[in-house]
Amino acid sequence: MADLARPLSRPSADTLTPRNLFPWTKVLSYAALIFAAGLSLAPFLWVLSASLMSTSEIAAGRVLPGNLLFENYPRAWELSNMGLYMWNSVRMVAIAVVGELLFCVPAAYAFARMNFWGKQTLFTIMLSTMMIPAIATLIPNFLTVVWISRLSESLCGEGCKWLDNWPALTIPFMATPFSIFLLRQFFAQIPQELFEAARIDGAGHGRFLWSVVLPLSRAPVMTVALFAFIGTWNSLMWPLLVVQTDTWRPIAFGLLKFVNNDAPNELHLQMAAVVIMIAPMMVLYFFTQKQFTEGIASSGLKG
Amino acid sequence: MASLAPPRTISRRRRVLVENLTAYAFLLPAALLIFIFGLFPVAFALFVSLHRWRRFPDEYIGLANYERALGGLAYVAFFWIALGFIVGGLWLLWRLMSPPPTTPSDNPEEKNSRQGRWSWREGIYLLPGVVNTAAILLFSQWFVLLLPEVLNIPRRIRGQETTQGLFVSELSKSFQVPAIAEAGNQAIVLILIAILLSLVVTRLVKGSGTTALLRATGAALFVASGTLMLQITLATINTAIETARAGGTELPVWSQIILISAGTGLVYAAYRLWGRAVRAEGDRRFIGLGITALLLALGGYLLIGELPRLLGTADRELLNGFSVTVMYAAFAIPFQLMIGLGLAYLLFQKLKGTTLFRIILFMPYIMPFLATALVFSLIFNHRTDSIINNLVGWVGIPPQKWLLEPLGVGRLIFGEATPTLLQGPSLALVVVILYTIWTYAGYAMVVFLAGLGNISNELYEAARIDGASGWAIFRRITLPLLSPTTFFLSLVAVIGTFQAFTQLWLMRNPAARDTLDTVSIVIFRQITDASPNYGYGSAMAFVLFGVILLLTFVQNRLAERRVFYG
Repeated sequence: MADLARPLSRPSADTLTPRNLFPWTKVLSYAALIFAAGLSLAPFLWVLSASLMSTSEIAAGRVLPGNLLFENYPRAWELSNMGLYMWNSVRMVAIAVVGELLFCVPAAYAFARMNFWGKQTLFTIMLSTMMIPAIATLIPNFLTVVWISRLSESLCGEGCKWLDNWPALTIPFMATPFSIFLLRQFFAQIPQELFEAARIDGAGHGRFLWSVVLPLSRAPVMTVALFAFIGTWNSLMWPLLVVQTDTWRPIAFGLLKFVNNDAPNELHLQMAAVVIMIAPMMVLYFFTQKQFTEGIASSGLKG
Repeated sequence: MASLAPPRTISRRRRVLVENLTAYAFLLPAALLIFIFGLFPVAFALFVSLHRWRRFPDEYIGLANYERALGGLAYVAFFWIALGFIVGGLWLLWRLMSPPPTTPSDNPEEKNSRQGRWSWREGIYLLPGVVNTAAILLFSQWFVLLLPEVLNIPRRIRGQETTQGLFVSELSKSFQVPAIAEAGNQAIVLILIAILLSLVVTRLVKGSGTTALLRATGAALFVASGTLMLQITLATINTAIETARAGGTELPVWSQIILISAGTGLVYAAYRLWGRAVRAEGDRRFIGLGITALLLALGGYLLIGELPRLLGTADRELLNGFSVTVMYAAFAIPFQLMIGLGLAYLLFQKLKGTTLFRIILFMPYIMPFLATALVFSLIFNHRTDSIINNLVGWVGIPPQKWLLEPLGVGRLIFGEATPTLLQGPSLALVVVILYTIWTYAGYAMVVFLAGLGNISNELYEAARIDGASGWAIFRRITLPLLSPTTFFLSLVAVIGTFQAFTQLWLMRNPAARDTLDTVSIVIFRQITDASPNYGYGSAMAFVLFGVILLLTFVQNRLAERRVFYG
């Protein structure tokens, strides 16, 4: 069962190894962990260091910069026009997160706490869509979005069109089966007595969801929001297809364009741009890493 | 629904109705999106793949796109899928009519002797079932007729100046095209009849109600679509044979279908027999294993002899894509899982700083592929003094070209004489595999960690009291109890690696030739080409989907025996 409340970091007892650990077992464990952590971190540390080098130093395979060239950052920021793309991504993320919650929370609630005809069938169908390879749906989804865009444009003018605009970027991904599944797992664990009590007080499903379930489910809601955040921040292929103007091109596109067109030979500026793109994710991750890992963990438990 | 006193029944029924409607209202937005962008695209892709379709829909060409992709294997595959649908439908029918599962019911002679063994009464559900299927098929026909018409609107109005209502008026015009309107009317009438009939039958006949109705509809739908697919397949096969004959050659499609089926059947029989023979004892075990070997050899001979000929006309690029994908998965997944498990095992001990290690090890998974792939391609640079070449230089390995190296690692290590089969993935692919392991090992670790936390402590205590060693505990308790988690992870990993795209796309370099072109890359290149071929791209995507489904199915079957659910 997905036990979201259990902190992963504190295993219940020293379960796996005999009680009297020989110190060398511990030492070996630490050595292995530190080695693995070093490998995990190395590319990040190197990119940080490389962002302060000059191109010739990077090309020479240097690990540490000779002079710290902090001016790489403002130059990369200006040359790549990163401000614009970052602002686009921030707007996109805000819309995507709000939309994700608006679509997924009620659906997850319905699957978790309501009885309706065809519940099991619908749930199975929804889960099975997770197996469909993204590349298989790419073409039809693109055709659908183009078509919807033309329709909405002709219905209410230029401003409503989907292509080159936020709807094409975010709406198709707002209802994620995985998020619904994750939220459902949590909602289903909330004791039924709470609902009975709420009903006696005259609250319906909507009320119960809003004032009991949601406040209790901050952790999974946060997880879902974070997944929407990363998915949108990292997305590249779909934006390449549906957006042709700079008004909505995301940060990943900005980086790709910078690397391929604007500064193909200035490796140091490229690395500075990479740091600029990673930095917000890093900050976010360090403040919310618990939600990340617990969300992932709970997804795996019900295989 | 037992009937209580009348007034209470009404209020109860009303409450159920209200609950149902509220639930649907809650679900509707998400369901709509998942349907439009998750489910409908599959049918849409199938539809596209059956047409000549560059940017806009063109004529129907049957399975030609699949022939181009798979060569002769397309005939075999579709033949079996069609048969599978029909058999599946018949199986559902059997489930519908057969008695509850407590009594075994494979003896046909007994069925008349004992009353109520076979519930023929359920057979009446076939009536609404067939009508439902007809309604669904008619509706699909209407939709299939409408779709190209509607999709063509942008092309039709291209020259004209775009006024507000133009698109909408074109849209309503498409609904009024005579053939489409007629099909639509027929569909509506039949849908109404189907709903009415279903309601009447479920009300009148006491029995399993909606379940029976669903089963009957499913059975009819499966048989009907199977028959339809069989028709298409046979037509394609006949055309192919005739075309070949006109060219003066004989196309042995049928013998190929028979040989391939026989080969697959033999190998499967060998697999089943092996499972039994291993458990048997003495002579029986010996004979069983002998027959297994014989079956395997025979089946393998048939498959190895026939498959290359079948695939001889297949798309080279796609085949190469599959071999790259398989290599990618075969090398990335085991390492990813083993490293993940090892790290989780280490972290699960009472060590200080566990949280910090977890944070660091999980980090690669959530960082943007684009950024990390860029960093990796700089670290694994082809220059002689790049970081990685300096590193391997310490161990005495000469500088390599890494991401630009199309030659297999086997060949790089053992020289030019290495046989093709042993050359393995290209060095470029190895870099991508390393990158993938680096990215996903942390993910596997976190999931494994949660799995470890779920194993009850008492088992360990008991084992320790019995004096089991650390390794024995790991082997006999941890691994078996972790098997659901392992299964889930391997399933996710297979689906993930077979769909992998972004990292490969970013690390590709012309110098590495096609050694990084997985199936997804082949498809994406097809649809982002200067003259894209959506029809063929969709067909290839569908083939990939089929392979993923097949693999998932096989994994499920294998797991049935080995996964231990507490």
